[in-house]
Amino acid sequence: MSNETKLYKTVRYIFLICASIFVFVPLVPLIFMAFKTGAEYSATSVLEPPKNWLNMYNFSYAMRVGHLGKAFLYTAVILTISLAIQVTFTAMVAYILHRFDFMGKTVVKVMFTLTMFIPVVATQTLIFRMMYAVGLINTMWSVIILYSGVGIVGIYVMLNQLDSISREIDEAAMIDGAGYFYTFAKIIFPLMKPACTTMIIINGIGLYNDFYIPNLYLNRDVQTFTVALYKFYGSMSTPFEIVAAAIIIGMIPIMIVFIFLQKYIYNGLAGSVKM
Amino acid sequence: MKSKRRSLFIVLFLVFPMIHLIIFSYVPIIGNFVLSLTNWRGFGDINFIGLRNYEKMFTNTEYIKMFKNCGWYFLVSIPQLIFALLLAVVINGKFRGLNVFKGILIIPYLLNGVIISTIFIIFFNNTGSLNTILGWLGLDSLQHQWLQDLNLVNPSIASISIWRYYGMNFIMFFGALQTIPTELYEAATLDGCSKWQEIRYISLPFIKKVLFINILLSVSGSIQVFEIPYIMMNGSNGTGTPVIMIQQSMSTNKVGFAAALSVMVFVIVLIVVGLQRLLVKED
Repeated sequence: MSNETKLYKTVRYIFLICASIFVFVPLVPLIFMAFKTGAEYSATSVLEPPKNWLNMYNFSYAMRVGHLGKAFLYTAVILTISLAIQVTFTAMVAYILHRFDFMGKTVVKVMFTLTMFIPVVATQTLIFRMMYAVGLINTMWSVIILYSGVGIVGIYVMLNQLDSISREIDEAAMIDGAGYFYTFAKIIFPLMKPACTTMIIINGIGLYNDFYIPNLYLNRDVQTFTVALYKFYGSMSTPFEIVAAAIIIGMIPIMIVFIFLQKYIYNGLAGSVKM
Repeated sequence: MKSKRRSLFIVLFLVFPMIHLIIFSYVPIIGNFVLSLTNWRGFGDINFIGLRNYEKMFTNTEYIKMFKNCGWYFLVSIPQLIFALLLAVVINGKFRGLNVFKGILIIPYLLNGVIISTIFIIFFNNTGSLNTILGWLGLDSLQHQWLQDLNLVNPSIASISIWRYYGMNFIMFFGALQTIPTELYEAATLDGCSKWQEIRYISLPFIKKVLFINILLSVSGSIQVFEIPYIMMNGSNGTGTPVIMIQQSMSTNKVGFAAALSVMVFVIVLIVVGLQRLLVKED
């Protein structure tokens, strides 16, 4: 049973199709461009499809010259380490805040909540000097350290998950003689897997796309994909059709994530609203 | 004995995240307040110069313009939010092609600043898609040099935010709509409510809070604009923003001035987020 009239259904489709066109119009010329030869690019309109859709020259050139393979590798290493630390620490903090009462708990909670007020861009003046002093500029460790903090949104996602895990499980484990650490690591943490997945996907997309931090701290040999793309793009000598190909390459991992994990992206982001 | 082990466990689990929090959030913010009163160059002696950095920020028209540029980014967030809200309302239901549309509409949200900047350079270039399409439509008089014209460049690049960020707003609205119990809709249908009445009296009141959060996110996002004007224009042609200025001051060793700008950005975000917490709690 539905109260959706034929008119409403038609209007809905028209609106959604217009919205999809709105998404694709800026994207299409980029895709066209990646398959065009240099001469073709300068001679044709940006909205004209390429003559040869199998022209892979730009892609192989981009991979070779832009050091994109290396940048991908660094991005993967940075993301894996930071996300592992971030998720573990967030789960630990959430577990303590959810299951234990102790002196200063409110202070801890407030301190994590207040980070919402602190924009990352407004803290780097001093952090940059600290990183410089300990010699971590231009190493991936500066970025990994900055990415390893525990955020309040993550804590909320984990707290929601802990609400659904019965305290009786902890108590039973303790009665059986398990210590605090064992109870968390072997029993509770595995049960928090859905919240961890959500966090990894949402934060993973954020970190993969981050530009500000890696651009500030990584410069020469060590680069994330976003920065490598920027360096590539910033050097005027790079032909634009090559840049377009590099960008298409950069979109592939994110599109794979998106096809397989779309459900989590929607649920995860929607879930973080409920806080 | 047990309570000792319990305390040890609590401390052990909190200590590293707390140290990280203090070093990378609290120390820099407090440090900024101090540094903003100096002309430190990142090395050597620290000389206090009072409020001179702030004076420079508020009297130099170039710097004032950077804060004004943020206004464009806030302005475009209005159509952006309306568009996102409409999308969330119409997509909230069951119909053929739902997942395809959900997939398409999330694409811009997944792309990074460098990709989006390149896409829109192609879009706004003199021979780019926008001018080409205007030509096809016979609207040659509307063709402009979007990125060179000093009056058009800021609204042009600010409007990119609509394409880039509507997806995030849309997902948040959509998530809020999903929390409405389906019984409510079923009851409304049984009572003979039209779709329009249903949207007006059930869906919209439910998203009021999320709408408010999104408006404040737009304000605090506008003051922190960095990537698109930095990557596309390098802040030239009068497209600078406070965060671009922070970046440039840092790279030219004007640490004191960068700190003063950071304090300004922090204070504005503080006011906005504080306002949000206050008003949402009252609800």
